[in-house]
Amino acid sequence: MTRPLPDQSLGPEWTILELLTRSVVDDSERQMVRDLLLTNTLDWGELLEQSLRHKMLPMLAHHIISAGLRFDVPTTIYMHLESALDWNRCQIEVFRRETVRVAQGLTDRRIRFVVTKGMTFESTLYDSLGSRYMNDIDFMIAPRDREAVMNVMQELGFRPFFEWAKDSRREEISSRLNPDHLPKLAREIDQPGTRIINVDVANSLTWTKSPFDVPVEEALEDSVQQPVPGMPGVSIPCFLPKYQFLFTVLHLFREAWLQKFVDLGTDVGLMKFGDVIRLIDQNRNELTDGELLRTMETHSVTDAVAWVLRHLDETFQTSTLELLALEKHGDEELLASQMQSSAYVSASGQPMRERLQSKARGSLRPVAPTHSGS
Amino acid sequence: MDDITTQFEECLRRHLRSAKPNPINYDVELTQLGLDSMTAVAVLLDMEKTFGIRFPDDMLVEGTFRTAGRLKEAVQLLRERQAS
Repeated sequence: MTRPLPDQSLGPEWTILELLTRSVVDDSERQMVRDLLLTNTLDWGELLEQSLRHKMLPMLAHHIISAGLRFDVPTTIYMHLESALDWNRCQIEVFRRETVRVAQGLTDRRIRFVVTKGMTFESTLYDSLGSRYMNDIDFMIAPRDREAVMNVMQELGFRPFFEWAKDSRREEISSRLNPDHLPKLAREIDQPGTRIINVDVANSLTWTKSPFDVPVEEALEDSVQQPVPGMPGVSIPCFLPKYQFLFTVLHLFREAWLQKFVDLGTDVGLMKFGDVIRLIDQNRNELTDGELLRTMETHSVTDAVAWVLRHLDETFQTSTLELLALEKHGDEELLASQMQSSAYVSASGQPMRERLQSKARGSLRPVAPTHSGS
Repeated sequence: MDDITTQFEECLRRHLRSAKPNPINYDVELTQLGLDSMTAVAVLLDMEKTFGIRFPDDMLVEGTFRTAGRLKEAVQLLRERQAS
């Protein structure tokens, strides 16, 4: 089924990124991206800046190169895009080797874990093209294994990242007060282009003090083995699709809802919405057989998930709410009472689409709690 | 030991919006005065800087700053430990 094409009211640069976010799936979308890239009024500075902000530079580069636009794009920009894609591919290679190394260390100690986010999405959702940006490696463990995992990571050469941070004491206190993750871990390596490998080990599918949760022990109970590209016979454990989906969407919910992530400069971005769109496209059968809905209801996360999908549908012309039978869920007033705060995205008075494009999100403050039901 | 009340309350008021215009109630949960996970970090850092103390790991838990009273006790305890 053909999806509506995005309106171009936010400019050709933004439309290109929206199309790449939701994945270019047919000739009409491919042609639209091509036409927009070749338009005389295209502002390459704006396109590159927004690509960087949304961690989509490698994806833009891959699209331009694979579309054969070598002689249609300004030469210096084309060369820069080639370099960005090459660097991302090298980075992914380094991350893959490190993921396998850590996974082996955890397996040797019989610790149950899964690899999450970028490392699994890069191969399952982005076809191992090197187009999905990654800046760290993510694992999920059970809270009871925090100490054992910390020991393994230290044996493998990792140290808490706050030792490198600009304000190390702030990082340290923040880490201690939020035990949904281990302290961010990092290891120096002798690799041009990648001097430090960051590893993020979570032990919750939500966050400290979240009013709802999906028990991590339940999510870790069954995992699937995912082959590691370029390493024959090697695989890593990952979540079943329904837990992969729930973790990804609840993560997005947290970052979209809470002011904290705006202040940290790590709130919503296009790439994260792109992950959700691809997760649903790729696992349509598993996510619509009723099992996901039952799990969401059991753990009272239906509204949070539906709230994210409503914003996703409104922004990217998708129909995920209908597909997952969640049209009646996601009431913002109910969520606001659970969260004990209004959603930043509503209180700031910006629709999600404009908020994503805005370069001054931190300067926006909620003016008044609203319960628009988005 | 000196009375730290004035400095302590100034420190809280710098970070907690709802504490600014009113006398500080030492029994009310600080979350009701606007404390969240971000401001909690800022308050603890400011207390460390203001009083020249360092919260040990076992005190970096929610119970330490549940109320202004609990937090003030913790600060006083750390100052006393340091003085001795």
